[in-house]
Amino acid sequence: MSHFDIERPIVKLPEQQPEQQIPDEELVWTDEEQERIEERKAKYPDPKSAIMDLLWMAQEKYDYLPPEAIRLCADTLDMDYARAYGVATFYTQYYKEEKGKFVLDVCTCFSCQMMGGYDILHYLEEKLGIHKGETTDDGLFTVEEVECLGCCGSAPMMQVTNGPYVHNLTKDKVDALLDDLKDGNMPPFVSVTLPQDEDEMGGNRRSDVEATETYQTPPRSEAVK
Amino acid sequence: MELTNGATKAGDWRNYERVLLPPIRNLHKLEVYENEANGYNRLRDVLENDDWTPESVTNEVKASNLRGRGGAGFPTGLKWSFMPDPDDRPRYLACNADESEPGTFKDRQIMEYNPHLMFEGILIAGYAMQLDACYVYIRGEYADWIRHMEAQLQKAYDKGYVGDNIMGTDFSMDIVLHKGAGAYICGEETSLMESLEGKRGYPRYKPPFPAQKGLWASPTTINNVETLAHAPLIIENGGEWFANTGAEAHPGPILYGISGHVNRPGVYEYPTGMLITDLIDEVAQGVIDDKGIKAVVPGGCSVPPLRGDGIDGVTMDSESLQEAGSMLGTGGMLILDEDTDMVSYLRRVTHFYQHESCGQCTPCREGTGWLERIVTRIDEGEGNMRDLDLLLDLCDQMEGRTICAFADAAAWPVRNTVKRFREDFEAKCKPSVHPTGADLSAAGATAA
Repeated sequence: MSHFDIERPIVKLPEQQPEQQIPDEELVWTDEEQERIEERKAKYPDPKSAIMDLLWMAQEKYDYLPPEAIRLCADTLDMDYARAYGVATFYTQYYKEEKGKFVLDVCTCFSCQMMGGYDILHYLEEKLGIHKGETTDDGLFTVEEVECLGCCGSAPMMQVTNGPYVHNLTKDKVDALLDDLKDGNMPPFVSVTLPQDEDEMGGNRRSDVEATETYQTPPRSEAVK
Repeated sequence: MELTNGATKAGDWRNYERVLLPPIRNLHKLEVYENEANGYNRLRDVLENDDWTPESVTNEVKASNLRGRGGAGFPTGLKWSFMPDPDDRPRYLACNADESEPGTFKDRQIMEYNPHLMFEGILIAGYAMQLDACYVYIRGEYADWIRHMEAQLQKAYDKGYVGDNIMGTDFSMDIVLHKGAGAYICGEETSLMESLEGKRGYPRYKPPFPAQKGLWASPTTINNVETLAHAPLIIENGGEWFANTGAEAHPGPILYGISGHVNRPGVYEYPTGMLITDLIDEVAQGVIDDKGIKAVVPGGCSVPPLRGDGIDGVTMDSESLQEAGSMLGTGGMLILDEDTDMVSYLRRVTHFYQHESCGQCTPCREGTGWLERIVTRIDEGEGNMRDLDLLLDLCDQMEGRTICAFADAAAWPVRNTVKRFREDFEAKCKPSVHPTGADLSAAGATAA
């Protein structure tokens, strides 16, 4: 094995004549969306600045961003397709390719690495029979390795489809999460209690959040020596 | 212990009472914030009391010696005073909530538990610099928190705390929440502005500095969430109180985010200038299984890690950490125990920088990739001793040769990890062709 056999930045040219994935009649905004677009455009001195919001909306609508969806956003804001495409490809959270129904973004950045993030990632890969970056055959799950999600105290953790965080992962918790997702239940928003709140206020301070956890350290994993 | 005006010295942290995240149930709700935390009264005071002029607010922040909590530690009052006099251009504030530095998870606590303190701080900063709008750039991963904050911001709008003619005065300011989409580089201030303008997040050249030409070519100031959240507290308690809290040269309350091999990780609010050993042994209740400490990364992955045997007496403020050979950064501490392999640690850190480099400048785009490949080679046992020097040489080629500080942030941990934990790296490299003490004469002339 060569020691260069690792992920390398590879410039992949986009398909020059991509087949259209979304039919023309679906490439329109509803009135409600149009209203939201106008609202967002008014927030910025230059309406083109709303492109990131529009891409988010398009991704929610179509689940991912094929070129025609990016073109729709660009046309809506009267900007060049190339510029909108540039924005869509710069940010990792915009999906340029179709993904599974649930995207499992496992954080493996250094705090999570030390707490067993790779164990969780490899466990998921093994359980689902795919490598990171791939989607299961039934189209349900995509597993990805992501950089720091900003929740280092409850490491290892993951995010489900750009939405809720799942904290303090263990293999059992991953099993339960996959079962829940298969039933179509997204995990709830979890409030992670501050240690000082536990001491001074007896725990979680938000009465509007039912699911709470604490920051904790998992048992030291053998795999992360 | 000497106390001034209720301020807590770092050594007296056990009696510290929290101010950024005070123990009040449901503080994130507007009505609780108003009734129980003196909410928006600091803003009302600033707007209605004639003693408070924009200059005097800025001067109070200057007197507090508040230093930015986003990583660079630049004096906030000074930054505010860089804004030019008002002209016909609009003026903006960009609030940096793109918390992506690995090891950092403190700003999210403010957004989750005390968002109105941030809004109030934004408005006070807006009054001091006579701004028209603030754009809060929140990382896209925090989708849930953006949703929560949008609801709270709407309530503040409805109550007349934000928007036109705030509290019946002639001061008007808007706050806009902007959702990012996953790019570490957008935490860099000029990149953040590019991203807000709806472009790829490529950092800009400085000068022109943001205060001259920032968002949409108008005067702009960029501050971190925690920095702005301090503003109402400074107005309420006075700059002197703030300056007397914690370490002298780097004062104030601060949120420490502790993660890694400790028994009780989490975000803690204490004064600056606390002993690292206090934070680990008492606040975080020690290292798991009572192991020794191999390394401490005091402020996010961009700052040089300290050796575990060199943290005695080092305090969490920029002066002491600089002396010890590191930086305060974001205050997100990672504690690594004695079993940690620093090569694999560095391999993950370099992977992070390789992944997140925006690709605008060649030394960084190529350099981060090379750093990762060389460290990976060493980690897989195929490295040579000379690779260590190659790494250091590569760091020399990257530092200070790019538009933004990303390349420096990538080079510092590499340089210092290799220097301070060289034995870990040497143990993984292939043995030298000529081991020390080997009898070279037997090999003859062919060995060369």
